[in-house]
Amino acid sequence: MRRQILNNPEDLVDEALEGLALTHPSTIAYDREAGIVKRAHPARDKVGLVSGGGSGHEPLHAGFVGAGMLDVAVPGAVFASPTALQVHEGTIAADSGRGVVQIVKNYTGDVLNFRIAGELADDDAVRTEVVLVDDDLATDTADGGPGRRGTAAVLAVEKICGASAEAGAELGEVAELGRRVARNARTLSLALSAGTHPGETEPAFELGADEVELGVGIHGERGTGRVPFADADALTELLVEPLVAELGPARGSSVIAIVNGLGGTCPLELSVAARAVHRSLAGRGIAVARSLVGSYVTSLDMHGMSVTLLPADLDLLPLWDAPVRTPALTW
Amino acid sequence: MNNADIALAPDFGHRWVDALLETFLGRADELGDLDRRSGDGDFGTNIASALRRAQRNIDADRPQDYAGWLTAVSRGFLGTGGTSGPLFGMFFRELSRCAAGAEPTLAEFARGLAAGLATVQRYGGAEVGHKTMVDAIAPAAELLESQLGSNDSPDLLLARAAQAAVDGARSTADLLAKRGRASYVGEVARGVIDPGAAAAAIVLQAAAAAQVGGRADTSWLSS
Repeated sequence: MRRQILNNPEDLVDEALEGLALTHPSTIAYDREAGIVKRAHPARDKVGLVSGGGSGHEPLHAGFVGAGMLDVAVPGAVFASPTALQVHEGTIAADSGRGVVQIVKNYTGDVLNFRIAGELADDDAVRTEVVLVDDDLATDTADGGPGRRGTAAVLAVEKICGASAEAGAELGEVAELGRRVARNARTLSLALSAGTHPGETEPAFELGADEVELGVGIHGERGTGRVPFADADALTELLVEPLVAELGPARGSSVIAIVNGLGGTCPLELSVAARAVHRSLAGRGIAVARSLVGSYVTSLDMHGMSVTLLPADLDLLPLWDAPVRTPALTW
Repeated sequence: MNNADIALAPDFGHRWVDALLETFLGRADELGDLDRRSGDGDFGTNIASALRRAQRNIDADRPQDYAGWLTAVSRGFLGTGGTSGPLFGMFFRELSRCAAGAEPTLAEFARGLAAGLATVQRYGGAEVGHKTMVDAIAPAAELLESQLGSNDSPDLLLARAAQAAVDGARSTADLLAKRGRASYVGEVARGVIDPGAAAAAIVLQAAAAAQVGGRADTSWLSS
């Protein structure tokens, strides 16, 4: 039996967003009626950025609303897409006259509702561009199915598009930059135990003491296979090796690396994994130009991690380094 | 007399929406049961919640014409989760846009239905035979298009379109799903009418009933 800090499961998302807004009153505001989280002080004269999806991935997305990143986040219920009307409200709220980039993770419901919201926004003469994030290497199959899922690379897309929009780039430029980041970034994840849906007593799937689920997504779904449990260096290598094989960074090149906890992984563990990522890449002659280590794109309380690699073109680094001030990411 | 330019019954939009509310809020359990047997079981709840939201839209902002009534329903669905909710929302949005006057002519209604079908297919990617709402909407749209301009009355044509939709929905029981949630469960859903197709057929039945001032007979759902 998994105990959780919870009132009524149905009120969980609303109450959490109220709590977040109460914690960061100078940065964000929660509009419960419209179902959107927006900047406490809306930005003017810049391309707007809206993102969203199911809840349960905190601090994604509401935690990334603020200067240098998102203008509006649109949260759905746990693991469920926001509705088309919610996304429409969010898109209109994000517009300051220069159009809105919608950052969408590749899931059927999200893609559908954001597309519809874009069409509704068109009626209101608000221009929109979609950046689809589909970075999950575990779902890279050529079977004509739904394609790769969107996972932790969404953080890099939001950060880099946010900096670009803040610097005054035009709608098309911001969108194209986001698409380039999404195209070049790949993520792979593993879990030592599954997350538990709020109000449920059992985790989404069971793992034996000597098993690790490789290639998990962020909705408690099973991965692509089970591998034996091992030490941190060996587990991290299970993620780094396929990412390097896929992206093929040259010796002497550099990457932005995100070591991401899935909700139930303690910071000490993530730092050990970060060390392993650095050492593994260094062994291949690849430098980590920038890295981010922490729990940013989670799957409720899943005990596990993901590694995201993004080849660091020189023009991306200044955008990555640009100031950001949000509840969950600030520098 | 050519039927294309005949306007549908006075207050058709209002009566159609009333019929939708009455039928769906009364049959949500049966639709939910179809979904439990073929998908994830939330369809009945979703459609009831969409129509309750439509009802609130109507109460807050009393519609003045056909477009207003159908827009209230469209927004009810667009404010609902899942995949079929937004697809029905866009379907009703096209229907809401079809009328130039207070009520659509038969030709406008036929064009609205065809546009609704096109938008559902554009977003959902389903074809006839995929075991989705398209299996009910497409035959109704085709029937109206083929008999438009004949001498048969709108009452008769809407009734035939509704029957074509019901037949289309019932035919989904024999199909293996290629789209939608039922496609994940494969053979398990064989023998079960697709809930989206059933709901679409009821939408057409409600239109036919509204035209003549009757009620939709949905007894086929449980037969």
